[in-house]
Amino acid sequence: MNSPDKTELFLSVINANKGIIYKVAQVYCQNAEDRKDLVQEITIQIWRSFDKYIDRYKYTTWIYRIALNTAISFYRKEKSREKITNPLTDDILHYAGTVAPGEGDENIGLLQQCINQLKELDKALLLLYLEEKSQKEIAEIMQLSETNVATKIGRIKKLLKQQLLNIKS
Amino acid sequence: MEDNDIIRLWQSYTKKLDDNLVLSRENAAAITKLKIHSFLSSMKPYKIFSILVGLAWVAWVDVLIISLFHIANPFFLVSAIMQVLLTKIAIGLYLYQLVLIHQTDVSEPVLNTQHKLARLKSSTIWVARILFLQLPVWTTFYWNKSMLANGNLLLYILQLVVTLFFTILAVWLFNNIRYENRNKKWFGLIFNGQEWNPVIKSIELLHQIADYRIEK
Repeated sequence: MNSPDKTELFLSVINANKGIIYKVAQVYCQNAEDRKDLVQEITIQIWRSFDKYIDRYKYTTWIYRIALNTAISFYRKEKSREKITNPLTDDILHYAGTVAPGEGDENIGLLQQCINQLKELDKALLLLYLEEKSQKEIAEIMQLSETNVATKIGRIKKLLKQQLLNIKS
Repeated sequence: MEDNDIIRLWQSYTKKLDDNLVLSRENAAAITKLKIHSFLSSMKPYKIFSILVGLAWVAWVDVLIISLFHIANPFFLVSAIMQVLLTKIAIGLYLYQLVLIHQTDVSEPVLNTQHKLARLKSSTIWVARILFLQLPVWTTFYWNKSMLANGNLLLYILQLVVTLFFTILAVWLFNNIRYENRNKKWFGLIFNGQEWNPVIKSIELLHQIADYRIEK
């Protein structure tokens, strides 16, 4: 594929999946500046892996893998890497609404607060569950058996409900 | 809140995002023009430099051991052999890390990639353990027969105390530098700073991955 076509395909893939990138960044980064950097880093990693994409998987499965892997590894960021991988200063994704997502809705705020308290892998699994991915797709993204996905999700949901109750009370 | 309520809540949040999230095509397109490195590539030069320096050191000490084998005093030979063996193990660990850097692919399944990344980072703690194990040989390599034959009691006691102290310290550190002791004060003193925090987090992640792989 020549370069302009490849760039155009990349932009359309990013545009179609921008919600995934944004939500993963929001689940793993509470700080707005870090979140901006993470969105940029995920986009960079998608571009870097673009030639390696194999159509055995859906684009969404592939993007979830890259986004989650990048987000979970984000805490390992070192200053030297920051200079290399965060060369752009402007936002790639911009929220155009007057009220930030989550603000103005107490329940979403509570849910996000509870998700923030989960461990890295639990966050990934819960996010995929909330996105209503099938157990087969979650298993492909995470490399778990479908039975294990079901068991782990059951455990995380229980934990989440307990946390929601604790916060409310 | 029931399962359906939680899903509905997330759907309403997704809808808000879908309606309001805008991609800056210009900024995203700028990424395609950058010279992009792997997010692990910044680790490579340091590892390669360490391997090269380590190999040069090992080669030099090996030459010394071989050429002086019949004339050097036994304390020097034993100390040098132990030091060079431990350095070779440390070089082996750095090579293992380079292989992991080469193998890591962010588009692979999450547990697979995270396991490689966590092993990569956590193996750094093994390098520290190996290097601490070398401590006693730096207090014995200069001993020789004439020093032992002509030294006084004070020198013997001083030398013995120093060597014994560093031997006990090295063995103790080798046994105790592990994740379970991460909250101990002495651990914080040795492994303090930005470069060690990700190592500790990686070991934590390895525990999470192990727990995830168990079907229960």
